[in-house]
Amino acid sequence: MTHIPASVVGYIQSMWMAEMILTYLHIDVQGRLIDWGGYPQHYGLTTLTKNKLIVEQVDFLDGFLDITHTEVLQYLNIGGNRCINVHIVPLDGSIYVLLFDVTDEHDKQQKMQQQVNELSILTYRQSQLLQELEATRKKLSEEKGQLEQAIKLKSDFIATLSHELRTPLTSIMGYTKLLDDAKQASDYETNYLDSVKKNANHLLSLIDNVLDQTKLEIGQIELHPNNCNVKQMLEDLKSLFLPIAQDKKLLFDIKIPNNLPAQLVIDELRFRQILINLITNGIKFTAKGFVELKITWQSNKLYFIVTDSGPGISSESQQKIFTAFHRESTANTLPGAGLGLAISYHLVELMGGQLSVESSPQFGSNFTGFISADSIQFTNTSNINHTNIKILLVDDSIDLRSLIELYLENEGYAVITASNGLEAVKLTLQTKPDIILMDMQMPVLDGYNAVQQLRAKKFNKPIIALSGSNIEHDRNYAFKVGCNEYMTKPVDPENLLNAISQIIQ
Amino acid sequence: MGILQKKICMIGDFSVGKTSLVAKFVRQTFSDKYLTTVGVKIDTKLLTLPNGNQMKFILWDIAGSESLTTTTASYLRGVAGFLLVVDGTRLPTWNSALNLREAVEKQLGNKPFVILLNKADLQDQWEMDEQVIEEKTKQGWKLLTTSAKSGMNVEEAFLELALLMT
Repeated sequence: MTHIPASVVGYIQSMWMAEMILTYLHIDVQGRLIDWGGYPQHYGLTTLTKNKLIVEQVDFLDGFLDITHTEVLQYLNIGGNRCINVHIVPLDGSIYVLLFDVTDEHDKQQKMQQQVNELSILTYRQSQLLQELEATRKKLSEEKGQLEQAIKLKSDFIATLSHELRTPLTSIMGYTKLLDDAKQASDYETNYLDSVKKNANHLLSLIDNVLDQTKLEIGQIELHPNNCNVKQMLEDLKSLFLPIAQDKKLLFDIKIPNNLPAQLVIDELRFRQILINLITNGIKFTAKGFVELKITWQSNKLYFIVTDSGPGISSESQQKIFTAFHRESTANTLPGAGLGLAISYHLVELMGGQLSVESSPQFGSNFTGFISADSIQFTNTSNINHTNIKILLVDDSIDLRSLIELYLENEGYAVITASNGLEAVKLTLQTKPDIILMDMQMPVLDGYNAVQQLRAKKFNKPIIALSGSNIEHDRNYAFKVGCNEYMTKPVDPENLLNAISQIIQ
Repeated sequence: MGILQKKICMIGDFSVGKTSLVAKFVRQTFSDKYLTTVGVKIDTKLLTLPNGNQMKFILWDIAGSESLTTTTASYLRGVAGFLLVVDGTRLPTWNSALNLREAVEKQLGNKPFVILLNKADLQDQWEMDEQVIEEKTKQGWKLLTTSAKSGMNVEEAFLELALLMT
């Protein structure tokens, strides 16, 4: 290796010292400054004094003068914007302190460290937020569970209440009908009976509306579409409403199109309910003029419009008219709970349609809507002879049992009765009935358990559930345990007899 | 009699507010902008004690770290006492402070220290467990809740350390 001349080495040293702004301090064993060189003023060391204690002149050296080996202090910011590396080198009893300017390197390092630290804080804050979100989600989930439980309790309560109200109501309505059919009552007795019937019907309608609204709120209403003779249904409605309209001296008509198919697949009960609500309202609010229902059928949709010449509805009220318990100020003196239109609106939606209102004060109202309604081929069914058919009627209410027994015997059925589920199971095994009418809420053994036991014992004849509960859950459970049909009390005699005929077929 | 000179170190995790506390104490300034310290910043401050004596603090504001590194350890040579700073809105910085205190004790023996629970102005994000703080206070540790932003307990913190060192 070629030897570099001393003069060149000296040149390189001076260049390097200038580049690094190297400064040195030479300190004796007592800690006094012996000498210095380089650029001390660059580091703010402007008043260095020989033979004076160094710690009184350079603060940061305090504590570093008793070292036995070289110590390096990196990145010291000693004021101003400069940053230094300090090398403290013990040599032959004295100490050399070397100062190097590393500001540029420090600044680069700082930039990198800044990014790392900021990212770390951000990550921490994010993880805290995620934890908070998770805690909130858990809390909401718990609250949702509690809310669902509360809704279920409410629903169960309404189901129980419904049963408790419907069962005695069934007796009241049934016996009232029997008294009415007897036609031996005097005029004032007939009036009393009419009043009892009217109020019982009103009470039943109120119970049904409250139940429907509750079920719609919690999404528990399920549709049961079946073959429906819509024309017949509309004729029935016409017969139902014509006398009521005539009592108020109103014109009433239902316009049925010629192209209406003989049978459409719809939930007849619910569609009927919608139309009854709309027509009832029309007649209730119209003082003079007319109420009309017009039906059209097109592209598997059944359109309906109920028009009246009543007082009309302000645009402000139209916004709220389909809200539950909303009542028009003009309706304060009229009966009703403000549920009919809300229920109709939701039912129409459930049936794949829409319901809307157009109205101007003084010019009457139009309630327009449609539902999905597929047409089907009409199949003719023949009546069958149901004499000598054995029916087991099970109900804990002696009044209801006697009433239904009377209907069935009038139709020629042979009737056996039982007052609870346990008795029903025993009698079924002994008498082998062709059909069972089973109350679902009974003491000793309820209808659900009785049906389960019968199906487990291979009894495979039809069972019709007669229940006071209008709740969808109860209906579904009845089918699940093995019932073939589900009817709610008060049971209409004709519907019951039709159901028996159909199920026997 | 000359002025007593003491080397004081500020230690703790990064971004707990060590530099801000020094800035407030020495220059009565505060900035919301975070600028990380690399290496160490050295400041001095003359403090008047309750007895009228003066003490000169050589303040070593050391770059934040959750544990004691070789570089950090070399800065501690000759330290008379230290302020252990915690970010009250980040619980992990409390654990870092406990680790650092233990490491300093191992290296330098018992040295006076005060723990500062900083950023008290951010109470809505406060994560410190009062029960843990109470426990440490019962053990004889000095703890102060501080805010470099509002100046809350800043002077008091340095004075407390000064008193521990006299």
